[in-house]
Amino acid sequence: MSTRRAFLKGAGIAMFGISLGGVPTFVARAAESLKQNRLYKKKKILVCIFQRGAMDGLMAVTPFEDSFLKSARPTLFMEAGREKPLIDLDGRFGLHPAFKSFAPLFKEKQLAIVHGIGSPNNTRSHFDAQDYMESGTPFNKGTTSGWLNRAIGVMGHDASPFTAVSLTSSLPRSLYGTNEALAISNLNDFSLQVRENKFTQGLVANSFEDLYDETTSSLLKETGKESFDAMKMLQRADVKNYNPSNGAEYPKTALGKAMMQIAQLIKMDIGLEIAFAEHSGWDTHVSQGTLQGTFARSAADLSNSITAFWTDLGGDLQDDVTLMTMTEFGRTVKQNGTGGTDHGRASCNFILGNDVNGGKVHGLVKTLAIENLEDGRDQPVTTDFRAVFSEVADKHLLIRDNQILFPDWKGNAIGVMKS
Amino acid sequence: MTRKLKKYFLLFITSVSFFALMSFSGKSLNDSDVKFPYKEAGLTEREAAAHLLNRFTFGPTPHEVDKVVHQGLENWFLQQLSAKNNDDELNRMLQGYDALTMSNAEILKKYPGNAEIQKMAMEDGLMNKDSLAKGSQNKKKLMNDYRMDNGFGTYKQLYSQLINQKILRATYSQNQLQEVMTDFWFNHFNISLAKSKFGIFAIPYERDALRKNCLGNFEELLLSTAKSPAMLQYLDNASSTGRNSKFGGTKSDLERRLAKYKNDNTPAGKKMQEKIQRQLNSGLNENYARELMELHTLGVDGGYTQKDVTEAARVLTGWRFYIPTGEHSKNIIRPGVIDNAESRRQGFVHDGDFFFAINKHDDEAKTVLGKKFPAGGGYGEGLELFHLLATHPSTAKFISKKIAIHFVSDNPPQSLIDKMAKTFLEKKGDIKQVLLTMVQSPEFWSKDAVREKIKSPFELAISTMRILNTSSINRPDVLNRWITKMGQRIYFYQAPTGFPDNAKYWINTSSLLNRINFGLAVTSNRIPGLEYDLAALNDYKEPDSPENALEVYCKLLLPERDITSTVKRLTPLLNDPDLGKKVEKASKESAANADDDSDDQKPMTPPTKKKTDNYTGSLSFNNSSSLKQVVGIILGSPEFQRR
Repeated sequence: MSTRRAFLKGAGIAMFGISLGGVPTFVARAAESLKQNRLYKKKKILVCIFQRGAMDGLMAVTPFEDSFLKSARPTLFMEAGREKPLIDLDGRFGLHPAFKSFAPLFKEKQLAIVHGIGSPNNTRSHFDAQDYMESGTPFNKGTTSGWLNRAIGVMGHDASPFTAVSLTSSLPRSLYGTNEALAISNLNDFSLQVRENKFTQGLVANSFEDLYDETTSSLLKETGKESFDAMKMLQRADVKNYNPSNGAEYPKTALGKAMMQIAQLIKMDIGLEIAFAEHSGWDTHVSQGTLQGTFARSAADLSNSITAFWTDLGGDLQDDVTLMTMTEFGRTVKQNGTGGTDHGRASCNFILGNDVNGGKVHGLVKTLAIENLEDGRDQPVTTDFRAVFSEVADKHLLIRDNQILFPDWKGNAIGVMKS
Repeated sequence: MTRKLKKYFLLFITSVSFFALMSFSGKSLNDSDVKFPYKEAGLTEREAAAHLLNRFTFGPTPHEVDKVVHQGLENWFLQQLSAKNNDDELNRMLQGYDALTMSNAEILKKYPGNAEIQKMAMEDGLMNKDSLAKGSQNKKKLMNDYRMDNGFGTYKQLYSQLINQKILRATYSQNQLQEVMTDFWFNHFNISLAKSKFGIFAIPYERDALRKNCLGNFEELLLSTAKSPAMLQYLDNASSTGRNSKFGGTKSDLERRLAKYKNDNTPAGKKMQEKIQRQLNSGLNENYARELMELHTLGVDGGYTQKDVTEAARVLTGWRFYIPTGEHSKNIIRPGVIDNAESRRQGFVHDGDFFFAINKHDDEAKTVLGKKFPAGGGYGEGLELFHLLATHPSTAKFISKKIAIHFVSDNPPQSLIDKMAKTFLEKKGDIKQVLLTMVQSPEFWSKDAVREKIKSPFELAISTMRILNTSSINRPDVLNRWITKMGQRIYFYQAPTGFPDNAKYWINTSSLLNRINFGLAVTSNRIPGLEYDLAALNDYKEPDSPENALEVYCKLLLPERDITSTVKRLTPLLNDPDLGKKVEKASKESAANADDDSDDQKPMTPPTKKKTDNYTGSLSFNNSSSLKQVVGIILGSPEFQRR
């Protein structure tokens, strides 16, 4: 509670400074416009994107010299090199062309890839695997909280209503828990929806403000204050008429919109530390395609949304932000009978940031011979997702104690972040 | 009598005695010795009636406090406990929802998944490998057509029936306590629609396992959930496998069989190898056993160990389900054995959809919580395990506390929990008796408890419908979207814990704004399909002044609450004659606040250009939109968030 009050104090000074002669204070407040004060110290921000449906890691980042893979995927395999579609990253792995906007970031060593990442629990159920990855406990369904919510609890900063925000309609499993986290699918909704003119809206807003200020329930009273203050913060920032910086162009997709709103929250400097977005469409059982098709569409959306976000942030803010993607598992090495791939084990993920050990494909991907496959069919998990998630949390958010985030995890970091 | 039969006989006797006890307690329910000690706690009869309605219904309807006072508080409660009020009107509203009365088998037939549709369409020659490969759009259309042509429904339709009926029942059922308890137990024995694997079974689960037992006996309730396809799938017990020595399922048996096919490279041989390999890979799954102890019965501090969890999981191996469905759905569940006299003799049990597959049951000895389960216990040892857990003192405490948290306060007094737990044990898990002990305790009526619970988003939405006497909800789906927006996506809570039952979980900055907006949305007709009549609430009596209207509606919407503060804070909205001018002045002085009426909230009337000349200076009650706005604000007020 004391952290909440620190927030209120900061906001309060800005809110209640001006009063217009003879006008009730709430009317004055409704009509006033104030410059936003900086309320929070600059903080590190972790942005997570969950790729729901299980991304085919072998198509995203292909070990293009693997002859087994080539023969296992007669219509899906692509080659790298001159005039060939894949973007050669390091002589062994090739990036799917729809991810092309990632290539410069990889070259600049801002983007790292971990290949062979996955869960120690070999379930191939989307639901279970997402549940385990988001709770951070791959063998225990009963864990009530999500790993990102537990992260909020140990960062120990002054709490802002915007400490942890998910750009989704309901709170994702990753953010379940006792620490406050917001699910907002659209920042514009964060206002009082009164169908009258601005003045009535102001009156109504202030009636509510006064009502909540007087209630005997301390929870309603304090949260009420925070809500009205948070609302005003967003109103002042004019979220509706946002213009991205540096010529960034977000795709006009759900993810593009989510990423743009995360950038807005970051620029508003209102205490954001954890942001979450999700991206669906990775469950490519049918007609996965190569240059075109369902995979390519999703890949272009993901990479273009992320690079637009990164461009929009620009140099200074990029230092504060690390972005990480995750997906519940990978897909079968062999393509199936309908031009797609089925549920597998390991996949890969992307980590972007200036403190990332970028320009490198981390992890271990053995030659995909049958004896190297998990259950004789899938790319084996060689890096536990908890190794990567806890390293990112440790190095970027300075959460040293990964036992809180991942209670059963005892392994080591793999060097995906700069030490 | 063999030992096994004896065991069954004992179990039979126990359940008979349960029945006897229950019917006995049923009789005693009308006893006049039920007394609610609210006067001692300093509440008036009307305040007590309002408290009762706030806790055991989804919110009072207009003038319901009067009715309860007239009926007598105790009588009203006893009537709710017996849950026999006429619900014809509600049932008429639910008539269009065909899935609500269906069995699991019927649901599987009427609502097949995409895989089954595809299979059927291929069998009927309407789809083939080519049409599948041509791209997902064409495939989607073919499958949709096939669905339509054959009268099949989608999961989405199935789920919306479940969601809509919950909204309608909660709003309109005359047996409110039954609905409140069904909601409570669903959350306690949570499953989720997040995945169709168990989501398709949610309707029969709620209806047969939960609503039927919600005011009955805890052991029967527990057992009904344990045997339901929904729970068996949700917590994976249906796939938990033990090795049974009689059915050649031991590891060495399987390895021997696998070796036999080692050099058989024919397709059939390869298939057999895969099958045996799958059997070898399958094994114990502890998910259900763990949650059974941690969440359903003993509680996390209930005094069990990881060893107990593993042993309980072994006891429950073979607890599966078998739903005989039509030709097309038969591939969903394979029993592996046929349901006949021979199989029954071997120890298989088929009871409704539940199926005990003894060939998947670990038949060695186990020990759970110190109780020994000798080898070869079969189905009966599972029943004994549930009896052990359902009647355990830790369970009595855990369940009593959870009930007290829901009905009394987020931190209920230990003295109350102890009393309830004592009743729980003495009355062998009779839920009615536990509730009666609770309401007859002074702790329930204490001033610390009254209006201390914060409504969940669902409770807020439904209590709004009830207090406005909403005569119809034509778009429950839109209402549901608001409930989701306020932070509760009903039936979709992923974790087996269910939604946390405390104020802190529900109230945060974003949810609070959405709650406030909900009230405003209701009264400004932004939730389509709601029919209510604000004037009728006040019996079409016209308030003689705006102040009077404010007070009247505060009293109507917040029965028996202290409304002084609410009235005081809202009065400036009504009676400052110069307000319009002041607003205008203030607006001119704040030119920096750029005009921006193009708000995202899609006003019903276009952003008005008349905002200065049309502004009369007070929100007159001659204008019913002002009344609506005030009602909207009362609904969004802190007082209305509490129950």
